[in-house]
Amino acid sequence: MRTKCQKIEYRISDYIDGTLSERQAAAVASHIRSCQSCQREVAALKKTQYLLKNFYVEPDASDAYYAQFTAKLQHRIEQSAPTAVHQRFAAAATRLGWQLRTQIHRYTDHFRPSRFISIRRHALPYYVLALAMTVLIAAPFLLTQVSLYDNGEHVRLPSAALQPAVTLTIQQDKTAVHRIGIRRNINSERTTEIPAVDSGSEVWKFTDEPMVDGYIFAKLRKESSDAVPSVALGIDSELLAYAEFPAQGAIWARLTSRDVVTEDRYALLLLRGINTGQHARQQYERKRSESKGFSQISEKLLDVPLEMLSVAAVYDPIEL
Amino acid sequence: MDRTEALLIADLCEGDETALAPLVERYKRMVYRLAVQITKNHADADDVMQETFIKVYHSIHTFRRDAAFETWLYRITVNEALNFVKRRERQRESTIETTPEAAYEVSTRYRAQLANDPHTQAEKAELRQYVTEAVNNLPLKHRTVVILHEFEGLTHAEIASILNCSEGTVRSRLHYARKKLRTLLKPYMEASAI
Repeated sequence: MRTKCQKIEYRISDYIDGTLSERQAAAVASHIRSCQSCQREVAALKKTQYLLKNFYVEPDASDAYYAQFTAKLQHRIEQSAPTAVHQRFAAAATRLGWQLRTQIHRYTDHFRPSRFISIRRHALPYYVLALAMTVLIAAPFLLTQVSLYDNGEHVRLPSAALQPAVTLTIQQDKTAVHRIGIRRNINSERTTEIPAVDSGSEVWKFTDEPMVDGYIFAKLRKESSDAVPSVALGIDSELLAYAEFPAQGAIWARLTSRDVVTEDRYALLLLRGINTGQHARQQYERKRSESKGFSQISEKLLDVPLEMLSVAAVYDPIEL
Repeated sequence: MDRTEALLIADLCEGDETALAPLVERYKRMVYRLAVQITKNHADADDVMQETFIKVYHSIHTFRRDAAFETWLYRITVNEALNFVKRRERQRESTIETTPEAAYEVSTRYRAQLANDPHTQAEKAELRQYVTEAVNNLPLKHRTVVILHEFEGLTHAEIASILNCSEGTVRSRLHYARKKLRTLLKPYMEASAI
C-alpha cells in the first residue's frame, strides 16, 4: 500500500486540478477511497488551495506610481529616438499624441456619465491645449506626407492615415449607370431614386464583391490596369463610392483616407449605420471558408474598433 | 484579443509610438503584479516593468498575431523578472524580505486569536498576510509556477511555454510547491475547520 501511495502522490495535484485523464482520475479516486493517509493528503491540499484562492493578497501599486512609471517609460523611449531637428519635432508631436491617447483611453476605460461633467471641467483646458499643440506641431509633417501616387493612376493613402501607404484600387464607374435601386440600408425594402450625381463628381465602385457587416470589405490591387482612379484620398479630399449587392441594391459612402484601414491586399471601409442582411453574412462566411488568407486578414481587419476610425457619413442617396 | 488591442498592436508594428501608451495603460498592473511577486521588491519590479515594455516596443514585430498578446507579455515579463533575480543574486545574496520563521510567528498569533473569535476582520487580515508570506517564501521556481497557475489562472501548457520547460516540469514544481505550502499553512489548517 505504501508503494501505491507513493505512486499516487505525484498525481494528487493533477487530481485536484482535474487535469488527469478519466482513467487516471478513476484510479486515483479508487485508491483515495481506500487509503486514509491519501484522503488526508487530498483534504490538506484542497484546504491549501482554498487558502491561496481566498486569502492571498496580490500586490499592486498606487495610481501615482503608475503615472510616474508611464512618464519614465516615455522618457526612455524618447532617449533612443533620433535627434535631427525635424525628428525632434516629430518626437514632440508623438509625445503629445501619446499623452492625449493615454488620457482618452483612460477616460473611455473608466467612463461614467456621472463623472463626465467634473472630468470635463477640470481637464478640458489640458485636452484643448494638448490637441492644439499636437495639430500645430504635427500638421507640417503630416502635410508633407500627403503626396501620393505611383503614376497618377492610383490612390495612395497618406502615411498620416491609420495605416501605411497602400495603393487603393477602386474602379471608376465610367458609365455612371446605376441600374440597381439604391437603398440607405440594405435591409430596407424601400428603394430610393438613383442619386443625381454631379458630372464633376468622382464616383467609384468597389471592384471586389463587398462584404458588409457595418463595413465594406474591398480587395486592393497594387497593380491593376483597368483601375484608373484619378483622385487622391488626401486628408482633405474625399471619395464618393458605392457598392452593389446583386440581390439587394447598393449603398453609398463618402470616404476619406481615415475611413480606410488597409492590410496587404484588402481594405476595410467602415460604414456607420449599415446593418447587414443575411446575404452579406452568407457571402462573408463563404469567402471566409474558401480562403485561409482571407480569413486571417478579415479577422484582423474586422477587429478594428469603431472608435478608432473617423467615419465619414454614409451617404443618404437623397442627400446626393 | 479585442478590437482595440489588435489595432494598437498593428499600429505599434508600423512604428506608431503612441500605440504603446494604451497598451501600457491596459497591462501595467498585470506586469507590475507579476514582476513584484517574482522579484519581491518594488524597485526591482519597477526595473523589470520598464525593461518589459521597452522590449515590447522593440520586439513587437516578432509577435505572432495568431497568438494571444497577453501570453506573449506574460512570457516577456516572467523571463525579465527571472533574469533580473538571477543577476541580482549573482551580485549579492538575495535579501529575503519575509522569512518562513516570520511567517510562523504570524501563524502562532493567528492561531491564538482564532481560538477566541474566528471571524474578526483583524484575523482575516492576519491570515492574508500569513498566506501571502507563505507564497513569498517559496523557492523562486516554485513560486513562479504557483503565481502563474493559482493566481493568473494559466494552464500547465501555457506555463510550460512561458518558462520554456516541459509540462511535466511544471506539474512537478506545482506539486512540490503545494506540498511546501501545505506544510507552511498546516498550523492554520489544524486550528480551523474550513
